[in-house]
Amino acid sequence: MSVALPVPVIQLLQVLTVALGAPGVTGVIAKVEARLQGRRGPRVLQPYYDLAKLFRKEALAPEGASWFFLAAPVIAVAAYLTIPLLIPVLTTYGLPLGYMGDILGGGFLLSLASFVVAAAALETGDPYAQMGSSRAKTFSAIAEPVVLFVVFTVALLTGTDLPYALAATVRSSAGQVIRPAHLLASAALFMVILHETGRIPVETHTGTNEFGMIEEARAFEHSGPFFALLKWGSELKQLILYTILADVFLAPWGLASTRQLGAVILAIVALLAKACAVGCVVAVIDDSFAKLRLFKITEYVSAAFLIAVLGVFTLYLGGG
Amino acid sequence: MILALLIVPLAAGLICAVLPRAAARASTVLSGLACFALVLALVPAAAHRDLTYLSYLRVDAVSAVFLLATGFLYAAVAVYSVGYLKQHEDLYARRFYAGLNLFGWAMLAAPLMSSLALLWIAVEVTTIVSALLVAIEDTDGAAEAAWKYVLIASAGLGLGLLATVFAYFAGAQVLGEHYNLAIEPLIHVAGRLPATPVRLAFLLALLGYGTKAGLFPVHTWLPDAHSEAPTPVSALLSGSLLAVSFYAILRYYQFTAAALGSGFPRDALLAFGLASLLLAALYVFGQRDIKRLLAYSSIEHMGILAVGVSFGAPVALAGVMLHVLAHAAAKANAFMGAGVLVAKYGTKQISAMRGALDVLPWSGPLFLLAVFALSALPPSGIFRSEFQIVAGGLGGGHYAAAAVLVVLVTVAFFGLTTASTRILFSRAPRSLSAAAAVPGRGEPSAWMVVPVVAGIVALFILGLHPPGELTGLISRAVTQLGAAR
Amino acid sequence: MSLASAVQAAPGVYEGVANVIAAVMLLIEFGMLRQALARDQIRLYMAQSALISVLAVVIAADRNLPDLYALAGLSAALKVVAVPLVMRRLLGRIDPDIQDEAPGVAGSQTLSPASAVLAGIVLAAFGFFCFGSLKLHGFAGGLGGNNGAPALALALAAAMVLVSFGLMIVRRDVASQAIGFFSLENAISLAALVVASGLPLILETAFLFDLLVAVVVFGMLIRTHHARAESLSTADLTRLRG
Repeated sequence: MSVALPVPVIQLLQVLTVALGAPGVTGVIAKVEARLQGRRGPRVLQPYYDLAKLFRKEALAPEGASWFFLAAPVIAVAAYLTIPLLIPVLTTYGLPLGYMGDILGGGFLLSLASFVVAAAALETGDPYAQMGSSRAKTFSAIAEPVVLFVVFTVALLTGTDLPYALAATVRSSAGQVIRPAHLLASAALFMVILHETGRIPVETHTGTNEFGMIEEARAFEHSGPFFALLKWGSELKQLILYTILADVFLAPWGLASTRQLGAVILAIVALLAKACAVGCVVAVIDDSFAKLRLFKITEYVSAAFLIAVLGVFTLYLGGG
Repeated sequence: MILALLIVPLAAGLICAVLPRAAARASTVLSGLACFALVLALVPAAAHRDLTYLSYLRVDAVSAVFLLATGFLYAAVAVYSVGYLKQHEDLYARRFYAGLNLFGWAMLAAPLMSSLALLWIAVEVTTIVSALLVAIEDTDGAAEAAWKYVLIASAGLGLGLLATVFAYFAGAQVLGEHYNLAIEPLIHVAGRLPATPVRLAFLLALLGYGTKAGLFPVHTWLPDAHSEAPTPVSALLSGSLLAVSFYAILRYYQFTAAALGSGFPRDALLAFGLASLLLAALYVFGQRDIKRLLAYSSIEHMGILAVGVSFGAPVALAGVMLHVLAHAAAKANAFMGAGVLVAKYGTKQISAMRGALDVLPWSGPLFLLAVFALSALPPSGIFRSEFQIVAGGLGGGHYAAAAVLVVLVTVAFFGLTTASTRILFSRAPRSLSAAAAVPGRGEPSAWMVVPVVAGIVALFILGLHPPGELTGLISRAVTQLGAAR
Repeated sequence: MSLASAVQAAPGVYEGVANVIAAVMLLIEFGMLRQALARDQIRLYMAQSALISVLAVVIAADRNLPDLYALAGLSAALKVVAVPLVMRRLLGRIDPDIQDEAPGVAGSQTLSPASAVLAGIVLAAFGFFCFGSLKLHGFAGGLGGNNGAPALALALAAAMVLVSFGLMIVRRDVASQAIGFFSLENAISLAALVVASGLPLILETAFLFDLLVAVVVFGMLIRTHHARAESLSTADLTRLRG
């Protein structure tokens, strides 16, 4: 079919793909993990059913919580839904709204969402929620420099901050894929993604472990539709980060270079497939390693920092 | 003949590993004397031309000087250890003799090597063998000293390997990729070598081989290893091994000076040399262990060698070559004498040794002569060589450095002589109980006296009237070191 | 080299792979800095030595030097198999009650892992930029095709040398110090491969065997040390001073 889609439609499709595909990716990861453990596992579409169930439930708020407590999940989801406008999700060419912000802007939005949820959790006065949000913010403070160095690498490699430019550079030759700066930045970003999405070795995603939980604890006090929004938000964050890793760093192929409907549909399928592939790797890691004790997470992040710093160093002498 | 020089000690070492003690003893002594004879036979030939064999082995005048030093020491120490091991439990006699021969083999092999890579390998082998020899006396101190030695020296030699790699890099630019690091071609094309790798190679070689030569600041293993090793091994370490490591630095100096002009390498050598001298002169005071005292004196003399090369004048370089020989003889004498003292008094502490002149009719005066010789009193060879070095320095305009050299050597002289006169001349204090009184009069062993006598004689020959062949050899070595610049 | 011009040109595939291998070796060196158990340090050393062999194969393929294939195999046999075996057996024999587990040397670090890594980063940066600022011009046909200057891999090797010295400094037990020395040799082999890949095979082989002998001697001295001190710690080696 050679129907050319208008650009606004493509832009909308980017947001929709991420919004609707996110719970599916989570479901795939859960299924793969269960299979690796020898269980049958939940059905792949289970997260959708969970979200639907939660939307039907009643919402409660703790006494003393202000409007912020209820607004936070909404703000977070709004931020998460804005990011697909900025990064290459489906296309190789920049879409109009894509120039609203560069990769730093995307990082800012991610941090905004995370901060808003953490602040809301602090509001509640619940010990678990406060503990979770304070831990989350502490570790974010350590992990942010790593993200910054990765961004620096991107900037140094392409001379701009636009993720589209980096994707184009990586696609241009085999030499670009294998260069040390690129691989090191990807490795550092992957370690940060494990940290941000709350996977092993930072946190266990299955089951609640009060002593170790960081992300899970922040959502403790929310209920009903707001809890659904929080869950959806974390799934969106996961898919967005996977998209950045896959579409910008590791495998920027399969993106639509024209506006043809066929190309766009292919791009959607390719994106979801790549995200599921990353998810499978994460599932394997989940099943292979144990969770780090909390104070060792700083060592983990310092390792990511080391890798990111090395990536920037290697660019200084040529040959990186 | 060169090949024989390589095979004899190796064979002796292997024999010692399997045959009983008496045979081991005999073969060691024979091997030492034979090697010395071989080296002496080489000297006249090397004074006129370079000898090569199989393209791996090469003897030129510079190598011959160092071979002479090592050969003499090997013979002297071989004889000395017969007496030494009589005093000590011969638990480790066979291992000791085997190690001694292998050590001598490695040190004789190093100046024979024609390529920088083989040179590195030979020096590494000396490290390995000597580390085992240092640890051979099963005491806490020996174990600690051996570990420090092997770790620091091997790390330093790692840097030396890096220097070799950079020398290859420089050489391969001109001589092609399959350049095998032979020294002679490198010197011939030195003018065309790229500057940065050569500079890097020289600095790394100075640091790396300087670790084994005992230059400041990488000398820290030296006092421990030289004091904890058995005395014959200490003598070899101080007299020979430091010299062989310095030989490696000299080779790097040769082509670096030819490639870069002599300013940079000389400055580097001057800095390291003066620093080592300063450190050694200061540390010589206040030493309580006699062998440690002598070890710091070795650092001082290595510093003198480095400073001498940095002066660059032909007289200074001749002084350096003579100093290598004279220091080998003098340090060996001093250590051997110290060994006799330790054997007699049962301790290495200076404070426990008193009245040695009365107790040791031969070794006492010989030790006194050795220490005086070490401190550059005429007419020992060391006086002559240091005089030549200072003269070269003053003649070349390095007034400040020469003055500092003289001052520091004097300081070290004070340090050494205060300690040794205390040992030799003072009476035992009355307050000592009878049990701790001065031991009975008599030499521990004749075997331990003869080499010292030979060494003193050699020193005086070097100081008063070096044989003509030797002077010819030294002057040829000086030209080879590029004194013309 | 100005940053802009340095960055625009990506390295060729071979050079990129070589640089990645060098970077990973440096990372493994940092890993050794963090490890608490001797057994894990030995495993990291095996990984590092395996990487050196892979690099030798890559360079052999890129620059058509069949000698290097043999060197790669020999190096793997020695450094990946023989040396760790010797170390394991040595450490295992010291404490026969613990089967399969080399005695841990935890607690022998003078700096915590995170501080050690930060100190390591400083050392690595120093070495890296010192060597990087030397403009070493390679010869045509050298690693990296037209450019020929093996600048990045050499700088990484220099950083690795400094970090391995750091490892020897911050650890107070003989096993870590020995592994630090072996990884120093690895770093120098990396530099040699990058800079001196045409060195005749016989010399490289001699270097390797020399390393093996050094390992044996290290092992003997570790045993001596352990026999006297009843532990692997060097914290009490303070008898000889001044």
